Amino acid sequence: MATNVLPRPVQRLIDEFARLPGIGPKSAARLTFYLLRAADDQAFDLSDALRELKERTRFCSVCFNITEEDPCLVCEDLGRDRTLLCVVEEPLDVVAIERSRAYHGLYHVLHGAISPVEGVGPEDLRIAELVERVQKGNFKEIILATNPTLEGESTALYLQRRLAGLNIRLTRLARGLPVGGDLEYTDEITLGRALEGRQEFKE
Amino acid sequence: MHIRHLSLTNFRNYGRLELDLPLGPILLHGDNAQGKTNLLEAIYYLATTRSPHADQDAQLINWIAAQSEEPIVVCRLVADVAAAAEKRQIEMRLIQEVNLSGRNGGRTFRREALVNRRKVRLMDLLGKLQVVQFLPEDMQLVTGPPGNRRRYMDITLCQIDPIYCRQLSQYNKILEQRNALLRRLAEGRGKRDVLPIFTEKLIKLGSEIFRRRAMFLANLARETHRIHYEELTEGKETVRLGYLPRLQENGGRRADELIALEQLGEWLQSHVDDADAVQARFEQALAAALPTDMVRCTTSVGPHRDDWRFWINGRNLASYGSRGQQRSAILALKLAEIHWMTKISNETPVLLLDEVVAELDEHRRALLLTYIKELHQALLTATDPGMFTKDFLRQATTMAVENGRVIPDKI
Repeated sequence: MATNVLPRPVQRLIDEFARLPGIGPKSAARLTFYLLRAADDQAFDLSDALRELKERTRFCSVCFNITEEDPCLVCEDLGRDRTLLCVVEEPLDVVAIERSRAYHGLYHVLHGAISPVEGVGPEDLRIAELVERVQKGNFKEIILATNPTLEGESTALYLQRRLAGLNIRLTRLARGLPVGGDLEYTDEITLGRALEGRQEFKE
Repeated sequence: MHIRHLSLTNFRNYGRLELDLPLGPILLHGDNAQGKTNLLEAIYYLATTRSPHADQDAQLINWIAAQSEEPIVVCRLVADVAAAAEKRQIEMRLIQEVNLSGRNGGRTFRREALVNRRKVRLMDLLGKLQVVQFLPEDMQLVTGPPGNRRRYMDITLCQIDPIYCRQLSQYNKILEQRNALLRRLAEGRGKRDVLPIFTEKLIKLGSEIFRRRAMFLANLARETHRIHYEELTEGKETVRLGYLPRLQENGGRRADELIALEQLGEWLQSHVDDADAVQARFEQALAAALPTDMVRCTTSVGPHRDDWRFWINGRNLASYGSRGQQRSAILALKLAEIHWMTKISNETPVLLLDEVVAELDEHRRALLLTYIKELHQALLTATDPGMFTKDFLRQATTMAVENGRVIPDKI
């Protein structure tokens, strides 16, 4: 049997990288040797960043987004419309909606969607917390912004049932044509939905 | 529609094939195991993304190439298709990669589909090349298990109706979710109030599938009956094709069960335009089946349990029909399928006939050949070209298939 010529710390980092999603042993070795040759600062910055990631982040106790401070900056921001709530599946969805600069309300992160096949039910998501928050809060509209997948649609439908009795306006993100898109290359379902959701054309 | 050029790389026993295909009937002849069936399989695979013969698609990759030490082996099927309005190129790639790092070690397999050199979802390839295939094993549509008849229905419909195809795939996903939920509930986990969500989605999509199948089978039944009565049996026998939708809990085996299902089929066919009525009926059926479904952890009613049957002179063809009667019914069905596809899409499909002609008697063979003349293109295989009339051979292009090579010749 061949002896392992790599020093133990090198092999250890390769193994750690290889455990990450999307990284195979070759990439893991390449990253490790890159860091081995890089300036000390860069490697230590990386290790600090990793430590901070786990030590300094937590879930916001109000919206369950990832945050450094609890409650998070969005929940604390008094400049936001506190009667508007947007429900999303993942923290990255918050980032996407913020990037649009078209939304100034609050968020609620479910951390997944209902999928019995994967063993995820409403009890595994932040749904009870959402219902409680809506009951106590002063919301006028709740936007169900789960993904337009089967699981996301089912979750939205479930939330609609749970929140229906509260006399608050429930909305769902529109589905339709991408900006800069081409009608002839759009699939029939998307085009059908876009037709259903057409709007008055006004100046 | 017709195929102008077919190009195969590492497919079955074809290492490399570049083949121009003319209009009209094309007769592929040669000894067994030379590649006649593989050529038809390639065309069928491009049209439907499924193989009628392989259990696993990886088996379609040329065996020598697949066993080689190459880190990546690509099997490529490309067809230049001429349809009435446009020309298009469709392509399938089957890719096998050696993956030393992978946790399952060894090889990974994936498929890609392209239309006009642009990558598309596999689903979007369907309908770009329309085919009707007739194989000796199609006789099992009469006597085999219901799954065969559902698959036939789905593959045929998906070639013509992309919305059906999408709905079917969504229905199957929802069904899987609902069954998983029933299992979780039986284990005492999960929440009961999630069940209505999946049940409602199942009803919506399932009713659409019921309606589209009912319409399809009504059309197919009418034409099958006509061809069978007028052209195959000269008014002596009547064949009826009945839809058996699983709109109630039903074993689907005993005569009385079949009758009950056929009545539901007739009800559906008279309500194809009434989406609300179909939804209400499916909802009722699911509610009635719920107590048993909770115990069995599966969904016992719905289009995933559908079936259809032939009746000959009022009797079940599978139990009472002779081999000859069964053969006539299948031939009538296939000819009706050509008629239906042509009517719906304004394109004649490419007909693929594998060794079928040898099994037919002279009268049926003559009828089939008159239908072939109506089509833009048909590919037939035979070990013995002698079974065809001189007249047919004069009109057809003949090609010899020898050990993975195809050589145009003249008989």
